[in-house]
Amino acid sequence: MEPAICLKEVTKRYGSQPALERVTLEVPRGVVFALLGENGAGKTTSIRIALGLAEPDAGEATVLGLASCRQGLKIRQQVGYVSERPTLYDWMTVDEIGWFTAGFYPDGFLTRYRELVHAFKLVPQQKLKALSKGMRAKVGLALALGHDPELLILDEPTSGLDAIVRREFLESMVDRAAQGKTVFLSSHQIAEVERVADLVAILRGGQLLLVERWDTLRSQVREFTLVLPDGAAPPELGGEILSRRNRNRQWQILVRNPDEQVVGRLRNDANVTGWDERAPNLEEIFVAYMQREGSDVQNSILPVEDCPTSQTNCPA
Amino acid sequence: MFVHVDPAHDLAIYDQIVRQIKFAVAHGAVGVGELVPSVRELARELAINPNTVARAYLQLQNENVLETVRGLGLAVAAGADKRCRQERGKLIQARLHQVLSEARHSGLELAEIRKLIEAELSEI
Repeated sequence: MEPAICLKEVTKRYGSQPALERVTLEVPRGVVFALLGENGAGKTTSIRIALGLAEPDAGEATVLGLASCRQGLKIRQQVGYVSERPTLYDWMTVDEIGWFTAGFYPDGFLTRYRELVHAFKLVPQQKLKALSKGMRAKVGLALALGHDPELLILDEPTSGLDAIVRREFLESMVDRAAQGKTVFLSSHQIAEVERVADLVAILRGGQLLLVERWDTLRSQVREFTLVLPDGAAPPELGGEILSRRNRNRQWQILVRNPDEQVVGRLRNDANVTGWDERAPNLEEIFVAYMQREGSDVQNSILPVEDCPTSQTNCPA
Repeated sequence: MFVHVDPAHDLAIYDQIVRQIKFAVAHGAVGVGELVPSVRELARELAINPNTVARAYLQLQNENVLETVRGLGLAVAAGADKRCRQERGKLIQARLHQVLSEARHSGLELAEIRKLIEAELSEI
């Protein structure tokens, strides 16, 4: 079965500003996929390109096997999408907007929408303009789930929302995954992402730094805190150093896939007087990736003259 | 039977679930033949990925703590209470080993460590 979302070498510029640089990723079916990144990293742009709401300057995007650039409408009929700030017709009531939206989808939408409204404890007769941020977000989610979509895309769904509403969103995501559906979310709430994500990806300055199963990444990254004598050389642990810093004689190193032999030697080294090892959480790993010296990032941003032309390759 | 998970804990979430269920079975909070929450229910309740719950339940099945009951879900297997009581000791011992190793590496003398243990025991 085709992946839920497929981006191949997707590049997008706004004027001379790179928004996405040759982003390639695949979201398999039935997973919770979390895209992490700072504001302006390109998360919303990737989603808009996938949904056919924006055109890439190069590369191709497909959703559920459909070409984003040509079959955007069909994609949006099959996907549930909650944007960061859902725009709703404020003069409508909670029930009315459900009834209105039902017209775009096959039968069954309104029934499911009403069930969700009930489950979210929303008042059907209340006007949308009277709703709080959290309630509006829930209306957006109910509208996105009414047609029981194969793929749910959430763009910063819970930013600015209280803990209760965030919890309700998480439960909905978990429920979709339990039913074998796919969830794609872009988020700042890393602690939440850590609980529910199967796969995580990190976007920085339009570049994809990593895509990995969270449980794999978790087992690969370790934080070592060592005490070395004054003036000792920075300790090496093999693998990929994500961050390394020292204060007095204490060194703290975050490393992905450390070399076990090197670690073993260091652990038994008489000069190493303190040793602590722990598994960092996703937020710490994310921050380490964000704060790394971006030498790779700099080198692979193409000068504007070398941009590929706007010939998007649409799969037949 | 209530489970609590902490993503910040050094043990992986699925491991926390496995241990807590074993402890619950060991002290009878959930009895032999009684059902545990479904994957979907527990994932929702804890707001965690259902695959994580599924992984924990799979391990518990492999260790004969849980077994499938056709049409109903997973229940505590026969003899699991005895097995879990035995293992409870081993699990706690492994955690003690970690703490004691840390104590030794911190430079504390055995006598000091023993005093600390006595102090904690009298507190509980």
